[in-house]
Amino acid sequence: MAGKSGRTIKAEQKLTAKQLLFTWEGALVVLFIAVNIFNMSISQSYTLSNVLREMPKYLAEIFMLFPMAYILVLGDIDISVGSIVCLTGTVTCYISNAGAPFPVVILGCLLTGLLCGMLNGFITTSFPELPSMITTLGTQIIFRGIAEISLGGGGSVSYINTKQIMPLSTKLGKLVPVIILVVIVVAVIYTVVLQCTTFGRSLYAIGSNKVSAYYAGVDVQRCRFIAYSLMGLMAGMCGLFLTAYTYGANTTTGQGFEMEVIAMCVFGGIASTGGKGTLIGGITAGLIITLLRIALGQANVNSQMILVVVGALLIIAVLIPGIKGRIDDMKKLRSAA
Amino acid sequence: MKEKSFIKMITGSREALLFFILIVMGILITILNPTFFSPVNIGQIFRNNALTMIMALGMLCVMLTAGIDISITSTLAFAGMTIGMLTKYNIVNSTLLLFLIAMVIGLLCGLLNGLIIAKGKVAPIICTMGFMYIWRGMAYVVGNSQFASGEDVREFAEFGKDGTIGPYIILIACYAVFFVMLKWTKFGRKIYAVGSNPEAAMISGINVDNTLVSVYTIMGLLAGLAGALSVSIYASAQPNMQYGREMDVIAACVIGGVSMSGGRGSVAGTFLGALIISIIAKALPLVNVPSIAQNTVKGVIILVVVIFNVITRRMVDKQNLERREM
Repeated sequence: MAGKSGRTIKAEQKLTAKQLLFTWEGALVVLFIAVNIFNMSISQSYTLSNVLREMPKYLAEIFMLFPMAYILVLGDIDISVGSIVCLTGTVTCYISNAGAPFPVVILGCLLTGLLCGMLNGFITTSFPELPSMITTLGTQIIFRGIAEISLGGGGSVSYINTKQIMPLSTKLGKLVPVIILVVIVVAVIYTVVLQCTTFGRSLYAIGSNKVSAYYAGVDVQRCRFIAYSLMGLMAGMCGLFLTAYTYGANTTTGQGFEMEVIAMCVFGGIASTGGKGTLIGGITAGLIITLLRIALGQANVNSQMILVVVGALLIIAVLIPGIKGRIDDMKKLRSAA
Repeated sequence: MKEKSFIKMITGSREALLFFILIVMGILITILNPTFFSPVNIGQIFRNNALTMIMALGMLCVMLTAGIDISITSTLAFAGMTIGMLTKYNIVNSTLLLFLIAMVIGLLCGLLNGLIIAKGKVAPIICTMGFMYIWRGMAYVVGNSQFASGEDVREFAEFGKDGTIGPYIILIACYAVFFVMLKWTKFGRKIYAVGSNPEAAMISGINVDNTLVSVYTIMGLLAGLAGALSVSIYASAQPNMQYGREMDVIAACVIGGVSMSGGRGSVAGTFLGALIISIIAKALPLVNVPSIAQNTVKGVIILVVVIFNVITRRMVDKQNLERREM
């Protein structure tokens, strides 16, 4: 595509197999395969049906990975999601215990999450000077606080009509849990929106440079508001499915979820500084951590040791780009000399 | 005219505003419950929140360099659990030595944080998040599914028992040291310089990397100290101790006017911020608000203070702009 000036406007990038491997996503896929082989070697019961049976326990969190990726791509952060899960779980139980039909329960739960997310979005967009970490730190304490007040002195509530919420935790054809199908559908929607729509691309534009995105005509605050609202909605979804598997909620429900979800995103190559990473990487990383947890659990590894493994993985993952940069710098220096 | 200067004083300095809020809160609480201002209550406020207050100092330094450390309570648990186990099995029984061990463990944890953040160019929140998992996991590993109860750490807990002055002395000493350090020493001013503008600091000859490493090391040291204090004050060592409380420490700093983008904040502000949170926790039951509402009130206050700050700054900016146009 040589223009009038003779300059090439479009740079054709051909991805060779080697280059593909050296992208973060490529490395993650290799790691994914390696983890599966490792898992099979340490645990005899690491079979497809067993994994499918144990996966739902961990999958509710994955719902929050998608909108969290949006928020991280924006260069923001949301640490209130664990508390939203707690609040929505509590609300779900109360609505159902009051005798509401199932669709109303689902609607109420998702609506609560959406409202929490919209509140976050409203505050962060009205006061863009405030770091989103501080805003969501405040709402994190408030949302859990509201849940604590409504739970009262006992600190827990159980879902009495367990038969009602059963459909969410059943398995289709006695093998595939419903939650996996829902996660796949949601994942596809979120990935397509991020990669292929104007909204998705504006998120990257804002994350790379907020000011230039603004001058390019992107409604920065509207995009941020939508991202935070989606985050709330998906936290509600997580709360709903978590309730379906635990039949109740208490004051510690969802504690620490925000960091786990952020860890998965960052491990998946979505930089917390914004503008970088894809959902494919995030999802792969989420799957790697989930599968590792399942297999280590099956192999009777102390569940606390799993924390150490996850933390170490995360730190190694974020150290690699820095080390690579240093090596490149040194190479440049040497060639200059 | 006088009113204007009052408003200016309050909006101009965060410490003055916080002090004003503190006085208003004190008056309101005393009206609702006159028994609040007793030496016992005040003493308890400081004793129960000594950990948050001490760690807030380290967090202040970290946040001054535009960083954050969310691994502190995990470091606390790791250090606390280690000395809890050491004294439980009578390996080490000297209180001083146990304190030193906890502080060394904290220091090493912090050093590792600092090295990775400064030399590896990793975002502080991400790096410390990794260590948050690692040290918490290590606390469980050290404990080997056991914990130290009051009976196990009886001798050590003498130091922080209700009525002793040990925790208060440590608290006062920490605040004195940090007040002097941040205000009058070369190192303290370097921290501010690095936080306000790292590039300018580097060009003027400050070793930015070393400053960052020392800031996180100090944070770790204080977290280790808090770990020993925690075992001593609460007379128990459990792997999940102070879980999630790092947010309280950050909240204390944020209320105290420490900016997350670095370079702005003071020891006095941090102290007042931590004090406001502590007083709320203590006062709510006394003024007949159920203590389960504590978190909601705390969250609302955080948001109100930071939003108020933004609004006043906008007003000041607008006024300055008008003055320039005239």
